Amino acid sequence: MLMYWNQFAKLFVFLSATLASMLSWGIINFGEDFELEGYAKTYNIMKNGASFLHDGELTHQRNTAQLEGKYYFLRDGQAFNRFSAGPIEEATFTFLGRAVYDAAYDIRDSYDVLNDRGKEEYKIREAFVDILMAPFSLRLGKQQVVWGETDNFRALDVINPLDRTWHGTRESWEDIRIPLWMARGIWDIGKIGSFDETFLEVILIPDDFKPTIVATKYPRPWAVRGIGLQNHDANSVLIGNTLHDLNVTVIDGAPDERKFSNMQGGFRFKGIWNEIDFSINYFYGFSQTTGVKVKSAGLDSFGTFNTVVETVNPRINVFGVTASFSEDRYTQSVFRLESTITSGVPVAIAAGAPRRANPNGNSFDTARQSVVMIGVDRPTWIPALNSLRTFFISTQFFWRRYLDYNNYYQGGAFYDVQPAVVNGSSVPGRYVSTNNNRLDQDEFVITFSASTSYGAAGLWKPLFVFAYDPRSTGAYNKIKMEYLYSKHLVFTLEQHLYWRVSGNDQGPWGLGSYLAEPGIRRNETVFSATYQF
Amino acid sequence: MKNTLLLSLRRIYSCRLFIKKLAIFAISASLFIPALLHAEDQSYQSLRDWIDNYRPGDEALTPGQHLTINDRESKLEALIPHTAWKYYFFDDMDMEIAATRNYPMSDDWEKEWPVDYKLDDDGTLVGFTGGRFPFTEIHADDPMAAQKVIWNMLWRPGTNDQTMPMVTWLRGENGKLDRIMEYTSINTTYARGDHSLVPGYEEVKSKRVMEFRSPRDMAGAKDMSISYVDHHRENSGWLYMPAQRKPRRTLASERTGELMGMDMIREDNSGFGGKVYENNWEYLGKRKILATNNVKTNPEFGGDSLWVPHKTRWEVRDTHVVLIKPKREDHPYSARVVFVDAETFWTHWMFAFDAKDDQLLRMNQHFLKYSEDYDKEPPAQAPYLKQDFSETLGHKVFMHLGQTDINAKKPHATMTHCFTNKKEFTAARAKQFYSLRNMISGRR
Repeated sequence: MLMYWNQFAKLFVFLSATLASMLSWGIINFGEDFELEGYAKTYNIMKNGASFLHDGELTHQRNTAQLEGKYYFLRDGQAFNRFSAGPIEEATFTFLGRAVYDAAYDIRDSYDVLNDRGKEEYKIREAFVDILMAPFSLRLGKQQVVWGETDNFRALDVINPLDRTWHGTRESWEDIRIPLWMARGIWDIGKIGSFDETFLEVILIPDDFKPTIVATKYPRPWAVRGIGLQNHDANSVLIGNTLHDLNVTVIDGAPDERKFSNMQGGFRFKGIWNEIDFSINYFYGFSQTTGVKVKSAGLDSFGTFNTVVETVNPRINVFGVTASFSEDRYTQSVFRLESTITSGVPVAIAAGAPRRANPNGNSFDTARQSVVMIGVDRPTWIPALNSLRTFFISTQFFWRRYLDYNNYYQGGAFYDVQPAVVNGSSVPGRYVSTNNNRLDQDEFVITFSASTSYGAAGLWKPLFVFAYDPRSTGAYNKIKMEYLYSKHLVFTLEQHLYWRVSGNDQGPWGLGSYLAEPGIRRNETVFSATYQF
Repeated sequence: MKNTLLLSLRRIYSCRLFIKKLAIFAISASLFIPALLHAEDQSYQSLRDWIDNYRPGDEALTPGQHLTINDRESKLEALIPHTAWKYYFFDDMDMEIAATRNYPMSDDWEKEWPVDYKLDDDGTLVGFTGGRFPFTEIHADDPMAAQKVIWNMLWRPGTNDQTMPMVTWLRGENGKLDRIMEYTSINTTYARGDHSLVPGYEEVKSKRVMEFRSPRDMAGAKDMSISYVDHHRENSGWLYMPAQRKPRRTLASERTGELMGMDMIREDNSGFGGKVYENNWEYLGKRKILATNNVKTNPEFGGDSLWVPHKTRWEVRDTHVVLIKPKREDHPYSARVVFVDAETFWTHWMFAFDAKDDQLLRMNQHFLKYSEDYDKEPPAQAPYLKQDFSETLGHKVFMHLGQTDINAKKPHATMTHCFTNKKEFTAARAKQFYSLRNMISGRR
C-alpha cells in the first residue's frame, strides 16, 4: 500500500505542473473565500570540477510541487458569512504544502548507501491562522518569522532553523527555513511622540525546537564532510606511534522538543524615527548550531579508544538593533544596518588546551558573539549595459566577533580525514581525523549582488552575486539568468563558482575553493524549469 | 538622315513628355506625400506643429455617431494628437462619440477655508493641504499657469480612496503577448484640507498599498508608499517579497527606469508623477482633443498590435496643454507634453520625447468613468474580485478604468484595466491597514 502511495505521490509531483497549468495561473479563486496557488519545478544540479564537460556529475534531479492555499473564513466581523465574530475583523487560514522527489537517488548507484534519505519529502510546511482584531493581530501555527536587515547571513534571522541538507544555504531561505509551531502577536501602536509607525511584536515558541540540520553522510552532495577524504570516516586514533581503534558514542542532548521548559520567545519593537526605520529585538531561545561536549575519552582494556560525546544546543540570548534609511538627495541609496550580541554560541575547544581554556574539561564552551552588518541598496543606471532599466545593486559588509575569545576555539565543521600513517607508511583501511580549524576572533564577509532585466517586457533577468571572505580569501560567485518564457513557464540557468585568491584556510563561511578540488569539488551548473499555476 | 533626325526628335519629345509627366506627378505627389510622411512623424516638433496649427472644423461631432478610418482626415486628425496617429488610426477602428458634458463635482470641493498657501520661486506648492483644487482659475498669461495646471492634477480631489484591482497586458508588435499581471492597489487620501483622515498624520498626503496576485513569480509581493504634503519630501516606500518574508525599504527618488517590464517609468504616472522643481514649465494654451473620458466599461484593445482602446466611447474635451522639460541633462526625456482636462484635471494624453533625438519615446492615454454613471452603466468586474459598485455612487468623481502606455522605441506597449471602486477608510482602519505592521507579513 505504501509503495502505491509513493508512486502516486511521485506521479503527482510530475503531473501537477502540466495539469495545473491548464487550469489557470497566479492565484486561483474558488468562490470568494478560497484561493490556491503553487508551482511545480524540476531542478537539476551538475557538479563540475576542473573540466566542465568531462568532469561533471548529476547530483540533484529534484522535482518539487508546492501548493499554497488561503481561506478567508472571517471578513468584516462575520465568520463563515454567518456568525458575528465580535471584535475580530478578519481571519484567514493559510497552508503551504510541498512534495519533493529527487530522481538522482534512483539514477545514481552511488546514492544507494544513503538508504533514500533525502530522496522524498511530503510535508505541510506551513499552516497558520491570522486573526485581526485592531490594533492587535495574531498569527498562530506553523510558520516562519524573519527579523533583521541582513540577506543570507544570520544575525537576527535566527528564529527558524535552516535545512542545509540538500543544497547548503544556496537556495532561497524561504524554502530551507524549517517552520516552527509558534504564536506571533502584534500590537500596532502607531505614533508615540517622535516615533511613527510603531508596533510591538511578541513571539512565543512553546515547545517546538529544531536545530539547523546538515547532512553528514557521503555521498550526499551537500554533506558537511570537512576537508580531506570524503568517502571515509575516521576509525582510528594515533597515540604516540600506536594506532588504536576508535569507538565514538553520541548522546543526543538536544532539548526535548515537547517540553514547556524549552519554551523560546522574543519581542521586537519597530518604528520610524526621523525617517529612519529602526527595531529593537530580543530573542531567548536555543542555539540552532549544535555543539559537542566530550563526556569521556580514553583507552579501554582492549586498546580501543572510546569517546562518549553529547550533542548540545545551549540557551542563547540574542539582543539586536536594526535600522534602514532611504537617502534620496546625495547617494540615492538605502542604507541598512543590523547589529546583534548573542550569548551562548557553542564552540569547540582544541585538544590539548590548558585548563584555563577548557575549564570543564569537555572540549566545549559557549561564547558571546557580536555581529555588525552594514548594507547599501541602490538602483543604479549603467546605460552602457541597460538603457531602459536600472541595475539593483546590493552590498553588505558583515563582521562577526567573538567577544570572549580564546586561542583554542575551534570550528566543528571542518575535520580533516586522512589515511593513518605509522612509521611513514599508510595503514590500509585505517583513517584518522584532525581538526586544525582554529577560529579567528574577527570574521568578515563582503557580498555584492546586481540584477536587472532585459528584453522589451523584461523577461530576461540576469543576476550576479559575489561573496568574499577577506581573511581566508575564499570567494563565491553566482551567475544566473532567469527567463520568463510564458505566464506558466520559467527557466533558469545558473553557475556557481568557488575560488580563492591564496592559501588554504577554509574560513568560517564555507566560501572558497577548498571544496572545489577533485573529489570534493562543488562548482555547479544548475538548470531549472518551473511551471507556475 | 531625315528619318534618323525624326526618330531623335521623337525620342526627345517622348523624353520631354516623360519628364513633364514626371514633373506633374512629382508636383501632385508633393501635395499628398508630405501629409502621408507627416503621419508617421513622431517628433516633438511635429506635435508642436499639430498643437499650433490643427484645429477642429466647424462640423460638430454627433453624439452616438461612430467614427471610422474614413473620418480620419475630416474629423479625427484635428482631435487626436498627431503623435498618436500611428497607433490610433487603423482600418477597422471604431470610435463612438459621446456628447461633451459637464460633470458636477462634489460640493465639498467648493468649501472655502482659510488656508495660506503659495507657489514658491521654483513652482512648488507650499502650504496646501488638499480637499479641493488649489487653483480655481488658470489664466494663459499667468507665468505659472503650467505649474498650476499640474498642481490641480496632482491635488485633484477624488483621485484616491479606491480599491483598484488591475490586469495588465504587456504586448509587442502584432499583438504578441509577453506577460499578464494581476494586482490590486488600495489608496487613501490623508490630507483633506482642514483635517487629516488620521489625526496626527497631517504631514501625509496619501498612502497606498499594492499587492500582486499573478503571475506566480510575483504573487504576494506588495509595496506600501507614503506621499507627503511637502512636495520636497520624497515618498517613503517598503517592498515585501514573499521569498524574503520581510519588507525592504525602497528608494523613491529614482523615477526614470522602467519597472517590472512595463512600458512606463514612475514619472509617467498620471502624465506627470515627478517633482515640479526638477523641470522647466511652459503653458501651451488650451486645445480640444478626443478623450476616453466617460467610457461605458473598460475598453477592449484594437489596432495592429492591440495597443489602443477600441470600440469605446470618446468625448471631445477641452484640455490645458503643458510642456515640461527636465532640467537634468541625463534625463531620458527632452520634453513631455501633457493634455490635462480643463474641467476635471485628469490627464488624458501624455507624450514624452527621447533626449537623444526628440522623437517619441513613451506615451500614455487614460480611460476614465464618471462615478455617477456607475449605476446605469456599471463597468466590468475584475476577473478575480467582485465588488459592490454602489459604493462609488454619490462621490461625483472620475474613476480611473485603465490606460495604455506605449514605448515607441522598443516598440512595445502596456495596457491596463483598472476595476476601480470607491473605498472609504475610517481613521482607525487606515491607521491599521497602511502600517509597517501590515508590511512585515504577506500572504505567505
